[in-house]
Amino acid sequence: MSVLQVANASFSYERQSEKIFEDISFEVGQGEIFCLLGPNGCGKSTLLDNILGVNHLQQGEIRVMGRDTRTLKAGQIARYIAYVPQSHERTFPYQVIDIVKMGRAAYTGRFSSPSAKDKEIAKEALDLVGLRHLRHRPYTQLSGGEGQLVMIARALAQKTPVIVMDEPTAHLDFKHEMVVMETIVKLVKTTDLTVVMATHFPNHTFYLENNGIKTTVALMHNKHFLEVGNPTKVLNEHNMRTLYNVNTKLMTCPLDTSTVLKQLVPVSTLNGTKEEERNAYVR
Amino acid sequence: MRKRIIYILLIIAPLLCVFASLFIGRYPLSLPLVIKTLWGQIALVNYDIPDMYQTLVWDIRMPRAILGAAVGGCLAVSGASFQGLFRNPLVSSGILGVSSGAGFGAALAIILFHGNTSAVYIFAFAFAMLAVLLSYLIGRVYNTTPTITLVLGGVVVSSIFSALISFAKYVADPYQQLPTIVFWLMGSLATARYHDILMAGIPMGIGIAGLIAIRWRINVLSMGDREAHSLGVNLAVDKGIVIICASLATAGAVCVSGIIGWVGLVIPHICRMIVGNDNRVLIPASLSLGACFLVLVDNVGRIITGSEMPLGILTALIGGPFFVWLLKKTKGGGW
Repeated sequence: MSVLQVANASFSYERQSEKIFEDISFEVGQGEIFCLLGPNGCGKSTLLDNILGVNHLQQGEIRVMGRDTRTLKAGQIARYIAYVPQSHERTFPYQVIDIVKMGRAAYTGRFSSPSAKDKEIAKEALDLVGLRHLRHRPYTQLSGGEGQLVMIARALAQKTPVIVMDEPTAHLDFKHEMVVMETIVKLVKTTDLTVVMATHFPNHTFYLENNGIKTTVALMHNKHFLEVGNPTKVLNEHNMRTLYNVNTKLMTCPLDTSTVLKQLVPVSTLNGTKEEERNAYVR
Repeated sequence: MRKRIIYILLIIAPLLCVFASLFIGRYPLSLPLVIKTLWGQIALVNYDIPDMYQTLVWDIRMPRAILGAAVGGCLAVSGASFQGLFRNPLVSSGILGVSSGAGFGAALAIILFHGNTSAVYIFAFAFAMLAVLLSYLIGRVYNTTPTITLVLGGVVVSSIFSALISFAKYVADPYQQLPTIVFWLMGSLATARYHDILMAGIPMGIGIAGLIAIRWRINVLSMGDREAHSLGVNLAVDKGIVIICASLATAGAVCVSGIIGWVGLVIPHICRMIVGNDNRVLIPASLSLGACFLVLVDNVGRIITGSEMPLGILTALIGGPFFVWLLKKTKGGGW
């Protein structure tokens, strides 16, 4: 059974006639990663917002574990779907453990606070991302990469079957980008988690695929999915040209006997981009 | 263990401050005398204490100290809650226009009813709540209330009511009404009586109890709307509870004490430096420290000059240097 189903989803903001996306459908199974790829402003984050219940679809439906999210309250959705934000604005210097404990809000009454059991769950979540030793540090003092891992730990503490991630590696350095990707792979493999993520890095999806995770890529283009499928099938030079107006080369190189590294390397932006776009609008 | 000690200190400290303020004033009283006066009334034992001391301790100093503690606690707790809710450390208890609304209500009552005390309380309270309601309605865009528009609503409403206060001052009788308005706006506990405590105590009590109950949720709300929602928080309900409780507490405090600045902004920050930012500890700590601070400052105000110094002036004059000292000592406490 699929964990998350999106069927014929359309959405536009209130008082605006233009649709952000239209008639989008997909399914994600347990232990799978679904990657949304597309240029800035194509509606990836808005689609994620709809899955999270922050916004509501105009048409279509979203089901998580078979239940229509529209009929669920925030406290119920939060037991099915957790969220890792793209950039988390850190205001107050809370301790790391206190941040992770907030993942237990859906299981904690409005007028009470997390129990000793919740604290244990938070510590286990920190173990999973390898940050238990930082639990008493003010999280405002962490590096960007560590901060992102704390956000992932908070989502894990929610104990949900699905985690939605919005560009989880944005603004991270070379190493921490890799640390976050490795953490995601480890989590999906060990806990059978389902991940839906928006990303700007096509090569990340090759990485996930190479690590033996069932990965599906959806290319979001002009309010629709241009193509949906596994990275090797979908990520090709032709699609990159349509999606981003960028000329690319697909490079392959054997890593060991069983795996082949694949990388899409950008070569140049397409000449006459502007004109083509204009034509697209006129049509 | 350490936690328990902190909690015990938080409970004892305001009681000590209230107790200490029974001795201090134009007529200093000795410890045995105060204790006898207190015990005499509680246990109904007759120690032959002159009526004047009886009145001084029970009817003047005691209500004043209790009211001071309640007002200080309320302002600090609502300041801390609003800072968390609005994710902004610069916010104070007056952010949604409560103070200026109350100020205008009081000025209006002083002009219309020539300073009838009950009328001043009721008008100040009513206009304080009206100001919050207006801020909320202005901040409401589409069907949600984003934090930033709420703050903007508060700023707009505050400035409108400030202008109305100026207008009230302009039309007031300059010999009797104007000085009353000006003194009211500077804040004072001098007129405190038990029935004030009972009247204002209802909104203050409800507000504080609500904020203490919901204090952990304020942590979650301070993650921002989108994250709080995805963590499972019903934004409309939880934000509503925080706003209503903080407004009730502030309005209840301001309507009996006048406008006392500083406490609602800086006491929460002093507490952040001492106990950290977790609202589970921060809210009770603010309650306690706010109460201590205002009682102590009021005592200073009663003794340093022949006539009483308005509270609003002293809170900043005493609190400011203390804040700077603490800032240097704790190196900002993680900011």
